[in-house]
Amino acid sequence: MRRKVLIEVLIKTGNVVAAMTVGLIIGGLIMQAYGYDALHAYYSLLRHAIGNPLTDPYPLTSTLSLATPLIFTGLAFAVSVRSGLFNIGVENAVYLGALGVVLASGFLKADTPLVLVIGSLMGLSLSILFALVAASLKVFRGVHEVITTIMLNWVAYWLVEYVRVNVFPDLRDPSKTIPVPPSARIPLLVAGTELSVSIIIAIIASLTTYFVLWYTVFGYELRATGINLIAAKYAGIKTSRFMIYSFLLSAVLGGLAGVCEVAGRPPHYSITTGISNLVGLGFDGIAVSLIGLNHPIAVIFASILIGALNSGVRGMQIEARVPFELVRLIQGVIVVSLAMPGVLSTFRKYLSIRRGRMEVVS
Amino acid sequence: MGNTGDTGSDEYLVLMKNIVKIYPDGTIALRGVDFTLRRGEIHGLLGENGAGKTTLMKILAGILKPTSGTIYVVGKKVVFSAAADALKLGIGMVHQNLSLIPSFTVYENIVLGLPRKQLLNARENINKLMSLTGLRVPLDERVEVLPFGVKQKVEILKMLFRNVDVLILDEPTTNLTLTETRELFNMINELKKMGKSVVFITHKLREVMEVADRITVLRKGRVVGEVPRAEANLNLLAQLMVGRNMISATSRETTTAGEELLIVRDLWVLSDLGTWAVRGVSLTVRSGEILGIAGVEGNGQKELVEGLTGLRRVEKGEVIFRGRRINNLPPSELYKLGIAHIPEDRTLMGLILDFTVSENSILSIQRSTSFRGFLNTLVWGRVAEHALSLITKFNITAPSLSSPVKYLSGGNQQRLVVAREISKEPQLIIAAQPTRGLDISATEHIRSLLLDFRKRGKAVLLVSSDLEEILQLSDRVAVMYEGRFVGIKNVSELTEDKLGLMLGGVSD
Amino acid sequence: MVIVIAVLLVVAAVAIYTFLPTAPTTTPTTPTTPQLNKICIVYDIGGRGDLSFNDMAYLGGDRAARDFNLVLTELQSRSESDYLPNLRTLSRSGECVIIVGVGFLLTDAIAQVADEYPNQLFAIIDGYVDKPNVLSVLFKEHEGSAVVGALAAMIAGYYNKTTVGVVLGMEIPVLYKFEAGYYWGIRYGQEIFKEKTGREINVKILFTYTGAFNDPARGKTATEAMLGEGAIVVYNVAGATGLGIFEAVAEAGAREGRTMGPPFGIGVDADQDYIKPGFIIASMMKRVDVGVYTATKKALNYLIHKNETKFGGILELGIAEGGIAMSRVEDLETFLELGIQAGTIKPQDKETILNAVTSMRNSIPSWIWEEAYKLQETLKTNKSLEVMGIKFSDIEAMIPFTADTIANLRSSLGVG
Repeated sequence: MRRKVLIEVLIKTGNVVAAMTVGLIIGGLIMQAYGYDALHAYYSLLRHAIGNPLTDPYPLTSTLSLATPLIFTGLAFAVSVRSGLFNIGVENAVYLGALGVVLASGFLKADTPLVLVIGSLMGLSLSILFALVAASLKVFRGVHEVITTIMLNWVAYWLVEYVRVNVFPDLRDPSKTIPVPPSARIPLLVAGTELSVSIIIAIIASLTTYFVLWYTVFGYELRATGINLIAAKYAGIKTSRFMIYSFLLSAVLGGLAGVCEVAGRPPHYSITTGISNLVGLGFDGIAVSLIGLNHPIAVIFASILIGALNSGVRGMQIEARVPFELVRLIQGVIVVSLAMPGVLSTFRKYLSIRRGRMEVVS
Repeated sequence: MGNTGDTGSDEYLVLMKNIVKIYPDGTIALRGVDFTLRRGEIHGLLGENGAGKTTLMKILAGILKPTSGTIYVVGKKVVFSAAADALKLGIGMVHQNLSLIPSFTVYENIVLGLPRKQLLNARENINKLMSLTGLRVPLDERVEVLPFGVKQKVEILKMLFRNVDVLILDEPTTNLTLTETRELFNMINELKKMGKSVVFITHKLREVMEVADRITVLRKGRVVGEVPRAEANLNLLAQLMVGRNMISATSRETTTAGEELLIVRDLWVLSDLGTWAVRGVSLTVRSGEILGIAGVEGNGQKELVEGLTGLRRVEKGEVIFRGRRINNLPPSELYKLGIAHIPEDRTLMGLILDFTVSENSILSIQRSTSFRGFLNTLVWGRVAEHALSLITKFNITAPSLSSPVKYLSGGNQQRLVVAREISKEPQLIIAAQPTRGLDISATEHIRSLLLDFRKRGKAVLLVSSDLEEILQLSDRVAVMYEGRFVGIKNVSELTEDKLGLMLGGVSD
Repeated sequence: MVIVIAVLLVVAAVAIYTFLPTAPTTTPTTPTTPQLNKICIVYDIGGRGDLSFNDMAYLGGDRAARDFNLVLTELQSRSESDYLPNLRTLSRSGECVIIVGVGFLLTDAIAQVADEYPNQLFAIIDGYVDKPNVLSVLFKEHEGSAVVGALAAMIAGYYNKTTVGVVLGMEIPVLYKFEAGYYWGIRYGQEIFKEKTGREINVKILFTYTGAFNDPARGKTATEAMLGEGAIVVYNVAGATGLGIFEAVAEAGAREGRTMGPPFGIGVDADQDYIKPGFIIASMMKRVDVGVYTATKKALNYLIHKNETKFGGILELGIAEGGIAMSRVEDLETFLELGIQAGTIKPQDKETILNAVTSMRNSIPSWIWEEAYKLQETLKTNKSLEVMGIKFSDIEAMIPFTADTIANLRSSLGVG
């Protein structure tokens, strides 16, 4: 039995590796076509994503620090997929989590760790509030969550922008909100890098999520709801309640990403213009979750993979002199290839459910 | 009728010869069927579930490909690769569950997919066709707001607008009210006058007698009779449909029925379409007995079971279990009271295919304290013990406890469901189609488990469209027809003739 | 099978990566020891192709690289989170003569990295970092504002209008010097107009703080209000909010069936004349390219030629240093070329835009242009020009402004 699990893990890892190889080859061909040295580019990508951690940990810490928020958002999305939802609202949870910390910094006006505690609570409450809107519309009115959460994302976006511009702007630099006070910041794990204690929180969140999903009655019922609604109802599970729980769980995890970004990432410790330091983290979580096949532990590794890409593209620009736009293109190709196995299996599941229903009908 | 070999003859509009259909999963649906259809004829195709009626007609309509056999249309051999091919030759089928687009208007649905040329005068032509056939439908209404009967008219009109000569109707009266049925029959007769041929698939004896010119009876993939209406009577048809020598003396120990466990009074339940699926059913199940509910599928059995198990709202009536009113209690409460449920579809309801054997072994009892640890954790060790005991006690073959049940054979999947439900130690098991699609050994095993359960003084409410199963297991049998019971009888009082008549909706 | 091959490939790649001491042979350019030969530019998230700060920084870096025989290394930022690692990575390479951070968004990041790498030289454009190894490149916006102010006043006079305006972003002290220069310039422009035409004009000046730098809708509303009060020229001191100004003036012109102003907007920072061709009379340009070029030169002097002993501090660029200028048609041509390269402007539009701008400029009497550019020349050397009892050097002396000092200045220049 253990061997089987190991084999399955190996096969799935192999899928990821195969997918990445395909992505790297396509990306390499594109670079060659544009006249850049693909081998050199990938070599410098690796150098800046991992480097040699023994002599110089900086590239690796950079990778891990960029992976941190993705672990949270990837988890948030994985939880929603596990419960049968496609919750795009992780994105707004990130904004609102961050907003909470900024609001606390602004209201308390004191340099105390209390700001982080109260701020997190405020941020998570806000993201939960937004999630409840989408959840109730889904459960009571049958409105599809993709629609509502996309709209709520914009509501949250402009709410945060309003606060940044009108309520708590940094008068020294009006492109940002006021910063989180120093003693309320999440400390760095390695001095002189961007890697903060957030990553430990993220890993704890992963392990907790894994435990909850597979080792509690709650997780059992949540997963049952996600895979087969009819069977879940048969099993006496109050499925709409679990959809709401799933929304809330995603909101908390997404909110934590926002909290950790704004309280744990040097040098700004604030929300910047256009929320540009947070925008897209929720959407990247979708990719991470798909690469990690919606498994909480695999999400950690998927996040590190994406973190490595984000960190390594620096090297492609500096050393291989590949222009940024092309670098982003290559990155996109690789991410899409990586996500392919997850996309396929998710869709296959969806299709088989549909097909199953049709066979029953006919 | 001696002319069937002459393929060049156009006595028959349609001639199907020696049609065999074996589905990819090995199910043999048709075992060499001949079928003929004349011009301007209403041809009844009669049979119970699984007789092969729908499969045969889907082949004629080009939706399914026969495994072997030939089809002639107007004397010419044809091979259909899609429904469109059959439609070109004037053969169209109206399915039991209609294929209209709900958010489109009636007009849009009728002209959907037609070439541009035909759209020019489409509205005018549809109006003409409506006055010609008497089929009146509101062209600019959205389909989703129409009642089922009108939707069916739309579908028929859609076919007629494509100039079909052969119209196949698959159980068209299932969801119709009495008046609507009447209208439908009038319409069918109009079509006949216009020279169209109609194939009328049904299991309802009276209806087929009323409307058909000729009746072909199918049983288990074979033609067992082809009768002109003049020669047909209810008894003959019922006999042909059900078959002889079916009631075999099964060695069943007699038990004395005890207290009344489940009492149902005047139960009314709606179908998904919002029509009454269960119309005032009353029944009693005593401990130590198996009450069998027979009937052709689609007569309200599914809704009855769901109403009793808390999965569908009971609109009217009373359900009493061991003296307690249990109307509309959630499933979890019913389980606690001692009702177990073997659902009719194990892959969609009884099991979660992607869950492991262990996980599925506790589906619906996941909250039981025997598997719960500190802080509502699931103690997988105890779950595995439970799963293992089911596997050994009930002879289930599974690769391992941690493999998803989708890798188990159908028989083992169903064994797991039955084992799990019995292991709950309920007072009553509501078992719906418990052996459908299983091989002989699994079927026998599961039947013996149910009999064993009865022997222990418990009760079973068995819903099955498999007559053999009903007769083998039940102490008393009720037949469900159009949402009602056609009668409840002791199994000893039943003859196949009687049963056939009841299935076809004829009570004595 | 695919999986096995993939695993093998990865193993091979890792092996190559681990055991090769240097880069693969296909990359002979990779140096083994750091060579101090690069100008490194970190762009803000606006990135290349913005036809503003980032593109101008590139122009300056490119010119410096050619003049000083250096290699230009550009690093774009995906998000704000990239500034710090981007700067750190470049600093750690030890190959950059100077690392230029484009735009004040990078202020915090540069302040932090400058501490961590005290031997690395940095420049921050339009921001201020007080470290010995950071050159803060600032611009004398009041000088340029005075020039466009004078132009605005003369145009108002020419069209017999009496009102001009300025729409600003958030009320932060940095913007006060734009205000001050603009007001002073308007009053000075009135004097020139009187001198040239003998007609005395007294322009009413409107100003609005919209409270935002990236809300074009507010910029539009504010401008429409000013136009309603008869304003003929509105100066943009509001970043992206200012795009609303241009929209408002263009719409007002179109309503009267005109393809060019009046009314007019005045651009800021970059040459914005192309945004609504014919409706933006000129732009007050901050020549970031000059900033990057000058910073590089200073870094080389300090680091290589050793003929400067101090690097850090403020490099203030004004008209005299070529860091501030009112736009000319030639500037627009350079910009459009950049835009075409970046794909933000279609090549076929270039002529159309240039024609529209040229004919707009020709619709104003040439003496007005001459006087405006003459004022720009004069301010290079002579700050003692005086109007309403205030010398231009008085304005300079008031910097940094506070809410009080600007309020005083407004009232003494008759604003509001």
